[in-house]
Amino acid sequence: MKDFDLEGLSREMPYKMPEHFLDDMTERVVSQIGKQRKQNRDRKIVALFASAASVAAVALLFIHPFGGGLDIPDYENISQCTSIDELFQNMTADELGVYSMMSNYYGN
Amino acid sequence: MKREESNIVNSQGSLTVSDESIARLLCDDSHVEEAVRLIMKKYGEPLYWHIRRMVVAHDDAEDCLQETMINVYKYRSTYSNEYPLSSWLYKIATNESLKLLKNRAGFTMSVDDLGDSLKDSVREEAGPNADETLVLLQEAIALLPAKQKMVFNLRYYDDKSYEEIHQIVGDSVNTLKTNYHYAVQKIKDYILEHQL
Repeated sequence: MKDFDLEGLSREMPYKMPEHFLDDMTERVVSQIGKQRKQNRDRKIVALFASAASVAAVALLFIHPFGGGLDIPDYENISQCTSIDELFQNMTADELGVYSMMSNYYGN
Repeated sequence: MKREESNIVNSQGSLTVSDESIARLLCDDSHVEEAVRLIMKKYGEPLYWHIRRMVVAHDDAEDCLQETMINVYKYRSTYSNEYPLSSWLYKIATNESLKLLKNRAGFTMSVDDLGDSLKDSVREEAGPNADETLVLLQEAIALLPAKQKMVFNLRYYDDKSYEEIHQIVGDSVNTLKTNYHYAVQKIKDYILEHQL
């Protein structure tokens, strides 16, 4: 039977690679990677700002920006008052507001 | 097994950067572009031909090589120095070539059904003045099933050992040997049948 010597055959290819193809490809790939790295950096910065904004928003829920915060009545002093009238006279407008809100909530 | 290499000076006197050095640069964010340039310099040509033998057309090989290099950048953290860098690069290039062929085959065909169209591309790409035996050899390779084609190309053209081919393709050494044996037989039969 006829045989064919594959090992004796040239390893050349019947087609060519275009000139400067690899140099052009290298530049294209490096430029694309540069763009991707920039996008990743931008994304990280946006994520950092977003997390900082969320932290600030949560902090604002607990800290009154103009100082003071809510004035909650001191119920220990209230129990030492001699009369209800005196108690209401000593209350500030804010304390009366809170009292009224809580009275409504607990059904007086 | 960890590989220890150092940069060496080749017979032409130019510095050949070791795979270990390239891998180190690749994992360092500030040197990744330098690493990609070194990979293209050292492996660009063999990777191009490995891809082109699979997909035949230059334009397809161009797309695949570009995607291969982008994936090298994207998945650089997955490289482990237990295997040679070249095997990892060939693996990515092989996957990209197969992906392109799978896209071409679509849902109704398998990659192995593309043989005839790849064979036609060989003639178109080679042009009228190409060596007829080399064209016949490429036609015979184009008609092989994908797995046999990969194993044959890596062994015959890239001189890879079965162990290296195992790192790239993933099959056992015995399966690879069988694939190579069948590929050689089919190629010989095709050339004998079509040679003038």
